[in-house]
Amino acid sequence: MNPSGPLPIPDAEVQAYVDGQLAPDRLATLEAAVASDTALASRVAEMRALNAALRDALDPVLAEPIPQQLLAAAMFPGARAAGLRRWLGPAFAVAATLVVGVGIGWFGRDALIERAGTPTTFARQAAFAHALYATDVNRPVEVWANEEKRLVTWLTKRLGFQVHAPDLNGVGYALVGGRLVAGNEKPTALFMYENADKQRLSLQVRKQAAGSGETAFRYAVENGVGVFYWIDDACGYAISGNVDRAQLLKIAHVVYGQLAAAETATPK
Amino acid sequence: MRIRPRLLRSDLVTPPAATDAPGLPHPDLVAAIPRLRRYARVLTGDASRADDLVQDTLARAWEKRRLWRTGSDLRAWLFTIMHNVHVNQLALARRDAANVSIDADPGNAAWQLPVRANQLDRVELLELVELIGRLSADQREVLLLAAVEELRYDEIASVLAVPIGTVMSRLSRARAKLQRLIAEPASPLRVVK
Repeated sequence: MNPSGPLPIPDAEVQAYVDGQLAPDRLATLEAAVASDTALASRVAEMRALNAALRDALDPVLAEPIPQQLLAAAMFPGARAAGLRRWLGPAFAVAATLVVGVGIGWFGRDALIERAGTPTTFARQAAFAHALYATDVNRPVEVWANEEKRLVTWLTKRLGFQVHAPDLNGVGYALVGGRLVAGNEKPTALFMYENADKQRLSLQVRKQAAGSGETAFRYAVENGVGVFYWIDDACGYAISGNVDRAQLLKIAHVVYGQLAAAETATPK
Repeated sequence: MRIRPRLLRSDLVTPPAATDAPGLPHPDLVAAIPRLRRYARVLTGDASRADDLVQDTLARAWEKRRLWRTGSDLRAWLFTIMHNVHVNQLALARRDAANVSIDADPGNAAWQLPVRANQLDRVELLELVELIGRLSADQREVLLLAAVEELRYDEIASVLAVPIGTVMSRLSRARAKLQRLIAEPASPLRVVK
């Protein structure tokens, strides 16, 4: 450094300059020093590159979906027991969950939960999958209903437990077919139904963690699409659609009755 | 209660609409979780231990919720809690297993960080993450809070409960050491582009 030149820049100021934290009144001095001192300039460039590399290396963690237990921990502890049951329990604490979706819909509410990536509750994932596939006129399913036996066998094998496609002809809906859908942790089975007006239902099943012993029906509306879902110790079920609540509940009862009967017939 | 954390240029997330419904996760806490997880991942070097640390941190934050203040930087405060919880857990672990050093785990392949190829390729970024693990815990924390979390130096001093001069000297040493490790012949990260 030229002894007659400006004073050397303190290390703390170089750090602050690199980190964008330098006091504004020192900025001009630093910039002049960097412009005239190639060694300082390359030191600053190296430190900036290191900052950028550290962020590149660590930023991907931010894009990971938030685990359920951390969302639960972000809930006011006093409200947690009720809140968990209401919001997270149905998606988490059941052995298998089944959803029937009707119509097309999105889920605008609770953007806070889905903003980390995939929607985290099963009801929303099911609505998402339904909106995606029910609108697909030509290819809503991977395996069509004329191969129902193969479909059920395949999904049973992929999910690791016996699944059933309920017969909804009694309420005016015929099986279209089914497909496998990616879930948060486990794969999900989707059965698609259609009525004479070409309105579609989708029915989704997946295996969950531990059973919770709940059976209550729950109803939610996601942007005009009603969602019914319920849970028992082995399975959870849900129906969503833009048909009215009473009709949805009727379909839900049919599905519930058939699956309960099927479960009794095939002990696990 | 509504706390609006200071937004930084590296914020990848936008704050969610405020929802004070008691049965919902608190939006400001949810907004902080991704960064808490990232910091915890570097502190612990292990994804599941990191999430346990985040969970403990959130629990502690609820216990101390009377200290949340409008206008305070919630995120810096949460980092403070996480630092303290982590230090306490390390002390307990050391007491329980006096011969096992939790921090002495350099080059641990189980960093479990997803990596995005960008400036450096994937291998280089993984290598960089391993090299971070070879810094001392003190250096690692300061470097992460300054370079990655972009906290102000005075906030870092408050998070770690050390004078600001200590923050600056640790930061300087952390950078020098990391650059030295990168320059080592064994390192494929010879030059950080």
